[in-house]
Amino acid sequence: MIRNTPTNWTGRDDAMVENAIRRGASRRELLKMLMGSGVALSMGSGLLLRAGEAVAATPVSGGNLKAAGWSASTADTLDPAKASLSTDYTRCCAFYNRLTFLDENGDVQMELAETVESDDARTWQVKLRSGVTFHSGKTLSSADVVYSLKRHLDESVGSKANSIAKQMAEIEAVDDLTVKIVLSEPNADLPTILSLHHFMIIADGVTDFSTADGTGAFICESFEPGVRSIAVKNPNYFKEQGPYLDSFEYFAISDNNARVNAVLSGDIQFAAAVNPRSLRMLEGQSHVETSITTGGNYTNLNIRLDLEPGAKAGFIEGMKYLVNREAIQKSVLRGLAEIGNDQPVSPVDRYHNPELKPRPYDPEKARSLFEKAGVLGQAIPIVTSDAATSAIDMAMVVQQAGAEIGMPFDVQRVPSDGYWSNYWLKEPVHFGNINPRPTPDILFSLLYASDAPWNESQYKSEKFDKMMVEARGLLDEEKRTAIYWEMQEMVANEAGTIIPAYISNVDALSTRLKGLRPNPLGGQMGYAFAEYVWLEG
Amino acid sequence: MLRSKTTWLLIGKRLGIALITLVIVSFAVFFATELLPGDVAEILLGQAATPEAVAGLRKAMGLDEPALMRFLGWLGGLLTGDLGTSYVNKMEIAELLSGRLANSLRLAGIVTVICVPVALSLGIAAAMWRGTLLDRVVSMLTISVISVPEFMVATLAVLIFAVWLDWLPALSYGVNVDSLGAMLRAYAMPVITLSFVVSAQMIRMTRAAVIETINTPYVEMALLKGASRWRMVLVHALPNALGPIANAVALSLSYLVGGVIIVETVFNYPGVAKLMVDAVSTRDLPLIQSCAMIFCVSYLSLTTLADMIAILSNPRLRH
Amino acid sequence: MTVSSRSTRFLRLPTPRNLGYSFNWAGRIGLAVMLFWAVVAIAGQWLAPYPPGEIVGWDYFGGMSREFWMGTDYLGRDILSRILMGARYTVGIALGAVTLAVAIGVVLGMIAAVLGGWFDTLLSRLLDAFNGIPSLLFGLVVVAAVGSSIPVLILTLTAIYMPGSYRFARALAVNINTMDFVTVARARGEGTAYLITREIFPNILGPVLADLGLRFVFIVLVLSGLSFLGLGVQPPNADWGALVRENIEGLSLGAPAVVFPSIAIASLTISVNMFIDNLPTRIRDRSD
Repeated sequence: MIRNTPTNWTGRDDAMVENAIRRGASRRELLKMLMGSGVALSMGSGLLLRAGEAVAATPVSGGNLKAAGWSASTADTLDPAKASLSTDYTRCCAFYNRLTFLDENGDVQMELAETVESDDARTWQVKLRSGVTFHSGKTLSSADVVYSLKRHLDESVGSKANSIAKQMAEIEAVDDLTVKIVLSEPNADLPTILSLHHFMIIADGVTDFSTADGTGAFICESFEPGVRSIAVKNPNYFKEQGPYLDSFEYFAISDNNARVNAVLSGDIQFAAAVNPRSLRMLEGQSHVETSITTGGNYTNLNIRLDLEPGAKAGFIEGMKYLVNREAIQKSVLRGLAEIGNDQPVSPVDRYHNPELKPRPYDPEKARSLFEKAGVLGQAIPIVTSDAATSAIDMAMVVQQAGAEIGMPFDVQRVPSDGYWSNYWLKEPVHFGNINPRPTPDILFSLLYASDAPWNESQYKSEKFDKMMVEARGLLDEEKRTAIYWEMQEMVANEAGTIIPAYISNVDALSTRLKGLRPNPLGGQMGYAFAEYVWLEG
Repeated sequence: MLRSKTTWLLIGKRLGIALITLVIVSFAVFFATELLPGDVAEILLGQAATPEAVAGLRKAMGLDEPALMRFLGWLGGLLTGDLGTSYVNKMEIAELLSGRLANSLRLAGIVTVICVPVALSLGIAAAMWRGTLLDRVVSMLTISVISVPEFMVATLAVLIFAVWLDWLPALSYGVNVDSLGAMLRAYAMPVITLSFVVSAQMIRMTRAAVIETINTPYVEMALLKGASRWRMVLVHALPNALGPIANAVALSLSYLVGGVIIVETVFNYPGVAKLMVDAVSTRDLPLIQSCAMIFCVSYLSLTTLADMIAILSNPRLRH
Repeated sequence: MTVSSRSTRFLRLPTPRNLGYSFNWAGRIGLAVMLFWAVVAIAGQWLAPYPPGEIVGWDYFGGMSREFWMGTDYLGRDILSRILMGARYTVGIALGAVTLAVAIGVVLGMIAAVLGGWFDTLLSRLLDAFNGIPSLLFGLVVVAAVGSSIPVLILTLTAIYMPGSYRFARALAVNINTMDFVTVARARGEGTAYLITREIFPNILGPVLADLGLRFVFIVLVLSGLSFLGLGVQPPNADWGALVRENIEGLSLGAPAVVFPSIAIASLTISVNMFIDNLPTRIRDRSD
């Protein structure tokens, strides 16, 4: 299956084709559509076949799914506010629900909310579904939502979404099923923000997370941090469809090879995030297939503008020409990536600026820029670590390119242990890794605003800050898009963050497992696959 | 011999010293952890660690108390048998630890029972028939076996027995272990991998130690007196080599409790080695301390046992 | 008889002239392979056809070809070049660390055995305590405190492997120390230094060398694990264990990228141990 998939084929395309089939498009029309996106005819038919299968298949109930993620530790948690590893996200999605969620097209859909509305993008009314019950039997009410959201503002909770939640200045229950959220500044993206995994709804007053009392499709039967969780089907689930599985066991196998082998041997039916290097192993295996998601995940090379050598004019620009994006995409990421253009809004995002072209690999130009900056020949340290996906390999690509133009970079591999608190954001030239975020506003305010908590290159621009606030409150899509396009250009040209590629996620699964579809929020259907998939045979 | 008073005195003394060693290790581990950059609040928040968030979480977790005081408190609790509570997930450490320690000990036990007799017999046999084909084959095999990286042995085993042949499950935990057959299947690969790793050292050290004692005048004398080769090795050489052999075995086995991280990872077997790695990476001091104590106790009991065997096997050392 | 023969045995050991003529075939092969890798370690950078970090093709886990004799790795780099460059790090670091660890361990072990008493107790318990500190924690502390460099790496490995060597050497020496010929020498009024070098050391040499051979293997293999702590060889170079580890996904494909580094490791470690195994035989035969 992998061989049939072109490198620039994304989950979005899959979804587009499937939607077209649902709408009743003819085969001819579909092929035309595919030709338009640059897919060869022979390949196109293979993809159509697959999309057709996904639509035609009827879910069957029953079965026990054993699935493996890639990271787990004693810090595993069922507290959605603290969720940090993908394993946590997957569990939270199985046990809880959010007010809204993102579908495979990246569009907002309602989950526990019936409507999320506002006239001015500042004061929002959230109407809840009625008759939803928690696993404990308690009925969902506005108090639960208020409690769930307000927790993020309490620093003692240790919420990962604290900086995003801060804009919710007022959160109060209007009546039993209505919540009013007043933002400190207008933000038209609130419905999307509420789809973040951290904003799962828990029952009012809960502080013990040794088990999970949610409204989700599965009931937590046992949970051992760093070991595994076992969940059984929630018979009172509020959605009409699903869950199909009788039980869902989830654990992590951190070793990539072991994870792939476990799915090949049939001991598990799903292995999340397999290394692209393993794809050749999966090829030709009739009982295992792969699901590829291209989202906004990226590993970037950050050069601080306020420290040497980034402060020297021309150095950062030179680096942007020295990063061989094609080598990174083809060799490091084995084609399972899209070339990036040094800004965080990925091609799956509707606000992505396609006119902004990635800089070409031009070592000679880099060389002259380094010479101008007076750094040519200096052994500049590049800090890299296993903590950021593929960062060591990317560092080596840059190092090799440097060696060829007389720029002997000193690549320093540091432990992934403590990387995010000790090296990231601090070193003059270092690697970072950013997970997909659903809106450009979140990305910009987290990463590029002058006061951004993770301002990786210490980029500061008043103009940029103003544009960000303006776009945030705009309900006019066209204007908003224009601003976001310009902001992407500013980041690409002015900031010191080099984003060479958007990395695809590859999940490997048994062919018995059906119903899995790519989602822009990440692999495993945006971590929420458990309630949508079923086991055949 | 054990009945003699001096032996008991010796054992008592060693136990006392072992306790002191434990306390020293505990302090060393504490200072080492303090030296590591980042604390549990920072690590837990990861990329979201803004100064205010860290401060808030630190306070909520009770980490604003000086680290040394918290450590001494933990040490005090240890005296009453209380291992404390994990910073990271608020679970009792005894609860976190018990199941995984049992897993680790079970695996270590199986490997010990299989490996020690086999390794000792092979080592002694190789020494007795030194220079023969048997000796050469054993030597080459042991060296070849440990020359392959552990992760490769484990991965290769999974590939062959689970993926290609489909005889054994690829994972050792979470699979059905109701029947004896199923349990044997689940443990086969981890045990094989670990046996590869630990027996080589035991075989080679046994062989070397026995050969060396065969060379001593004491044994040469026995040979001159007309003792048979068997008798010479078992009665004269072996008791003298027992000390070094016991030490080599102890060193090998001490690896089985805390050092099997690769096997735990590849076979998804939740033991204490992975627990320790988690504890260190989250700076979960009570958990780090508890794991370190377990490793240390196992190491000390093994080496103390080895020292005891050394002393008991050599009458001249008992004075 | 014993005293004199033992001292001559010791005296003959270290000179190459004495080692030169009576190797059996296994010892010779071992020595030849070791010398081969020693030469590669020194001359590797001139022998390597490509820079170790250069991506020579878009394909990964490429097979053996005229251009790339040992195929290409997961990034499309030439494996032959990477093995040649890695020899220096693997051989050099392992040799340095094992020599230091065993030398310090054995000397301390012998002193402890001969002196006994509080010195022995204190040193033994201290090293036990040191061994009680998990090496993961120790490695991370080293990186945090002094950073990473090749000398730091060698010293860290020495620190990790020395206590084991000490324990084994002491156990051997304690036994020898009770032998009659040592008692005789002591009664003669010989000093500690004499006892250690002339009486104890020659008699524990065999097992100590066997121990050294094993420790050498362990160190070669543990190197790749340490690079995860940021303590290992820095990119673009990699030790052989790291080459195996980074290409392990190629195992099921039988990729040369994982096979050849494994062969390199095995040939080095087996030859070292083969050499050691056959070394004492020669010496003993001559002294008889």
